[in-house]
Amino acid sequence: MDRNRKLLVSILAMLVLSSIIAIVDIGITMKKNEDRPSFSLRAPGFGPGIGIVRISGPIEMSAAGNSFGLQNGGAESIVERLDQLSRDNRIKAVIIRINSPGGTVAATQEIYQKIWKIRKKGIPIIASMGDIAASGGYYIASACTFIMANHGTITGSIGVIAMSPNVRRLFEKLGISMNVIKSGKYKDTLSSYRDISQEERELLQEMIDSSYKKFLKDVALGRSMNQTDIIPYADGRVFNGVSGLKYKLVDGLGTFEDAVAKAKENAKLPDDAPLYEDVMHPLQKFLVNLENMVKNISGSPLRVDRSLYENQYRMEYRYLP
Amino acid sequence: MILNSIRSLRWTDFFIYAVTDPRNLYRIIQNNDPSGFGLSFTIPLVVAVTEILATSLLGQQTSFFYYKITYGWIFNYILLVFFIVITASLMDMMSQFLGFTGRVKEIITVVNFSIFPKVFLLPLVYIFKSLRFAPGFFYFFFSLGFFIWSAIIAILAVSEMNRSDNVKSVMVFLFPILLVSITGFFLTIITFFGGITMLFG
Repeated sequence: MDRNRKLLVSILAMLVLSSIIAIVDIGITMKKNEDRPSFSLRAPGFGPGIGIVRISGPIEMSAAGNSFGLQNGGAESIVERLDQLSRDNRIKAVIIRINSPGGTVAATQEIYQKIWKIRKKGIPIIASMGDIAASGGYYIASACTFIMANHGTITGSIGVIAMSPNVRRLFEKLGISMNVIKSGKYKDTLSSYRDISQEERELLQEMIDSSYKKFLKDVALGRSMNQTDIIPYADGRVFNGVSGLKYKLVDGLGTFEDAVAKAKENAKLPDDAPLYEDVMHPLQKFLVNLENMVKNISGSPLRVDRSLYENQYRMEYRYLP
Repeated sequence: MILNSIRSLRWTDFFIYAVTDPRNLYRIIQNNDPSGFGLSFTIPLVVAVTEILATSLLGQQTSFFYYKITYGWIFNYILLVFFIVITASLMDMMSQFLGFTGRVKEIITVVNFSIFPKVFLLPLVYIFKSLRFAPGFFYFFFSLGFFIWSAIIAILAVSEMNRSDNVKSVMVFLFPILLVSITGFFLTIITFFGGITMLFG
């Protein structure tokens, strides 16, 4: 029996030894992986690094939440994310990855102001443009210390737009009329059911011009340029990355990886500095994926997006081809 | 006192009988000299480490390993103990339903010792990982093998505990698994259809 006991102790010792060997092995393999000249977007990081903020799709103040009450992507959540990064001692540079045609005036201005505040703290902020960073997307990028665009990025479109459909004649044909009771003559400005009056047009034009001037002023401030140098190209036209560089709307051509390299260079970070992504909580990701999956399964081709037939006019820094 | 009992190596009998003679394992648990209850909780502790190490060896090795081997280990241990206690309680419930005496403390000890073979998963997986010969397949293969081994240990020990035939012991052992499986199945269905109703209802 005593022999068996000693044998078992030896087996247990072997188990402990195999555990230690496994830990050492994993540690060595991990070190080898880390020594490789590559970067991982989602690897958990330690120490000083770069914060990533992603701005995708039309910019609105609060993006519509999903069925689980989770919100993601609205200006409020972007400002909150920027605020978190600016308070985080580990963050030495920030990359704003923009893939947006712009959005509402106020939402865009809020993001611009937040970036500007961070920039004033001395934290390098690099804008990395994806497919499109036009109008409000460019407005936001102009607050950054460096703008990196791809060759084919659609950018520019400096300007303001507001529009609403006019279905008056269609209503007349159908014999439909609206009963409108209003407190003032401008209360239903840009109504879809009647023509716009000259006075209303002038009123809106004044607001458009004011927002346009603010756009120009902020872009000139962010880009350290004179407004007069921007005005010739600020007529709503779009540029690709190459022509954007030519007109000094962007600072360099390159990919997201190049933007990461630039951020590391500006913040004097080592090559293996971690990237801090705004990673969704696994449960949040699961719920959002589940909802998308169910929507894809049950999505009817006859279902029309409400925004297509509702008149939700607003003023936007947005590229609307 | 504790040092003397460690030196005596009598505690090793629990482990030896767990793998060689589960009926005898129950007898020494029942004798309570030395007590096996506290000692039995070292097994989920070791199993929690070996499980994490074995899965880490198979996956991509990143610095997340540090979290796994520290917080992850503690979490895994708590989770294992929780499941063991629940399983043992359900087994005890079934035992009493079949007319046997309730001995939940002894069943917890038995279930703890029954998972002892799982500690061999790490060295075995490590061998196949080093040989680069289907380590993923052998991980699942050995996991299944050790589960069956653990089941045999628990069934034989419970059979000895209740002086019953093996069929009744199998029923006692399978009850928690069946209960959890059936409940899980219906919960999944309810959650899925509930989710769809919530989204589109």
